[in-house]
Amino acid sequence: MTRVTGIGLLTGWGAGTAALPDDARATGAGRRVVALPRPAYDGERFRRATRECLLGVAAVDAMLADAGLDRGAIGGPDTALIYASAAAYGASNRAFIVGGPSVYFPYTAPSAVPAEVAIEYGLRGGYVILVGGATACIEALWQAATLLGSGRCRRAIVLAVETFAECETLWSRGRWTVRGPLVEAAACALLEGDGEVCYAVGVIPAPLEMVARQRAGETLACGPLIALALAREAGEALPRVTGQWRGRRMGVTLELATAAARTRS
Amino acid sequence: MRPVAVVAAGVATPIGLDLETFWSGLITGVDGTSRIERFEVGDLRVGRGGEIKKLASAGQAPHRACRASSMLLRAADDLLAHAGLGADAGRVAVVLGTALGGVEELDRALTDTPGPRTAAAGLYDSPAFALARRLGAAGPVLTVSTACASGATALGIGADLLNSDAADLVVAGGYDVLCRFVMRGFDALRSLTRDRVRPFDRRRNGLLLGEAAGLVLLARASEARAPLGRLLGHASSSDGSHIAAPDPDGRGLEHAVRAAMAAAGVGAADVDLVSAHGTGTVLNDRIETSVIKRVLGAHAHAVPVNSIKGAIGHTMGAAATLEAIMCLLAARDGVVPSTLGYEEPDPACDLDYVPRAARQVRTRMSLSTSLGFGGCNAALVLEGGA
Repeated sequence: MTRVTGIGLLTGWGAGTAALPDDARATGAGRRVVALPRPAYDGERFRRATRECLLGVAAVDAMLADAGLDRGAIGGPDTALIYASAAAYGASNRAFIVGGPSVYFPYTAPSAVPAEVAIEYGLRGGYVILVGGATACIEALWQAATLLGSGRCRRAIVLAVETFAECETLWSRGRWTVRGPLVEAAACALLEGDGEVCYAVGVIPAPLEMVARQRAGETLACGPLIALALAREAGEALPRVTGQWRGRRMGVTLELATAAARTRS
Repeated sequence: MRPVAVVAAGVATPIGLDLETFWSGLITGVDGTSRIERFEVGDLRVGRGGEIKKLASAGQAPHRACRASSMLLRAADDLLAHAGLGADAGRVAVVLGTALGGVEELDRALTDTPGPRTAAAGLYDSPAFALARRLGAAGPVLTVSTACASGATALGIGADLLNSDAADLVVAGGYDVLCRFVMRGFDALRSLTRDRVRPFDRRRNGLLLGEAAGLVLLARASEARAPLGRLLGHASSSDGSHIAAPDPDGRGLEHAVRAAMAAAGVGAADVDLVSAHGTGTVLNDRIETSVIKRVLGAHAHAVPVNSIKGAIGHTMGAAATLEAIMCLLAARDGVVPSTLGYEEPDPACDLDYVPRAARQVRTRMSLSTSLGFGGCNAALVLEGGA
C-alpha cells in the first residue's frame, strides 16, 4: 500500500490541524479571503521568490518536521515531486500583467513554486505539475503512487499551494467562491510504499471532504491534503479522500502511517 | 512500462492546420515564423514568431471560445477525422500540457471589466475543459504545466492513466498561444533572436516563440491498433538547479532520458532518431548535445538529431507533442525533417543535425527530449508503426 509518512500544513488559520476552527464560515465572519503571511526566508537565495514559492518551501519544512526527517533526507533523484494548484500562479501573473516587469518573468509560471522547492532541497527525481482544484491534488496523489509503484522513485512529495489575496476581486466573480471563505493554504505530504492505491473517478463525496471544507474553508488543491491531516488526527488508518473541481469528482484511498511508525522511520 | 498505442494525431500549427499539411511543411522546409499581426509588438525588441494567421476563419470553435480553446478544438477536429472515440464517455480522459493555459484571458479579465465567464476562462485549465466538452469526454481532465516540457509530460501521464486502468482512451497533447504576456516576458529576458532560429548552429543566439496545439489519441496497445506507433517509455525530472536556466551539466535531463529508455527497455543502439528540444539558445543546445552524447555514447554520432523549432518557433506546451508526432510520421514515411536554420557547425554541438534538407532514412525507435523553465525535463521513447 502507499503510505503517507509525513504531512505539513499551513493555512490562513495557522499551522497544523490544531489551528483550524470548527466552522470556517462562521469564524471567517464574512471575509472572502483568509490570507497567509509571507514566510520569513531571507537572503539572496530568495531575493526574487514570490510569496507562493516561499509558502511551498515552508510547507515542505513543516512536513519534514512532522516526519522527523532532516532536509538532506529527501535530496537527489530518488524523490519525486508532484505539485498541484489552481490559483497560486495568479498573484505573480497579475503582478506581471498589471505592474509591468516588476516580477521576474519565470516566476509567472506554475512551475516556479515546485522549482524553488526542488532547488531548496536538491530534488532531482520525477517531476509533475498539475493545475486544477481538489481533483488535481487527488491526481497528484495517484501520480505519486504510480511513480512509487513503477520504481521511478523511492519516495514522493505531493505539494499544494493556494493563494488568493492578490486576485481577490477576480476570484469573487467566480461561482466556485460561493461556499467561501477562500482560505490560503500550503500543504505537503510525503508518500512511500509499493504504490498500491485505490484511485476512482466519479465518486461520491467522502465525509472527510465535507469536514475539511467545514473546518478549513475553500482551499482548492490543498483540500485533500487537509483531509488527510484531519484523518490522521482522527486516528483513521485507511482514509478515502475525495475532491471536486469544475463538475468532476475524484477519490483516492491511502494508508496513513501511525505515529509510532513515523518515529521508527 | 506497458507500451501504449498512438492511434491518431491532430494538429493546429503555423505551417498547417491539419496533420498532413504540417508534415509536408516540415519535410519541405516551410518557415512558419513571421511578423506577429494579432497583437501589438511595436514596443518589443522582437516582433516575430510562429503565428497561426487564419485560425478563426478556418476553425469551427464556438463563437466565444478563447484562442487557446479554438486551437485545441481545431486540432481535435483533425484528430477525430482520423479516428473516433469508441469508448464509454466516462472512460475517456483528457490530459493537456501547457505553459500558459488561459493566461491571455486572465490578462483580459484583469485589465477589462469582465463577467464571471471571462474570469473562469483565465484559469490555466479552462481550455482542457473546453476540449473535454467538445469530445464528450467525462473521465479525468488533467492540465499539466511543466513549462515547455508539458507536452511530453502530458503524454506520459496519459499512458499512466491507461496502464492503471483509470481510462480506456486518452486524448493527450499540448497547446499554447502567442500573446503579449509571453512575448513581453521573453522579450524582457532577452531570450528572443532578431535573426532566424538556428538550433545547434554556431551563430545561434535565441529562440522565437510559436503557437500551436497537438493532440494524440492513446489506447492500451493490447486493445487497439497503433497506426502511428507506440509510446514505449517516458520519464520526467527536475534539475533542482535554477529557476530559469537549465542545469549546466544537464543532470536532470540525463536522468529523465535514462529513465525513459529504461522504462521502454531500449538501449542506446536501438535509437534511430533523436528529436531534440533544440531551442536555438546557446546554453540549451550545448547541454542537450552533451546529454545525448553521454547517454548514447559512440552511437550518438550515428543518429540523426533534429529540431523543428526553426520551422514553427518554440510552441511551448505544444512543442513536445508536435515533436513526438514528428517522430512517428518520420518512421511512417522513412524521412526525417531537417533542422531549419542550421547551417554552420558549432564545435560544441558536433552531432548530425540533419542540415539543409529532409533526409530519406528508415527510423523505427525515436527519443524525444524536452526542457522547461523551473528545471522541468521530460523524455519520451516512441516506436513507429509497422
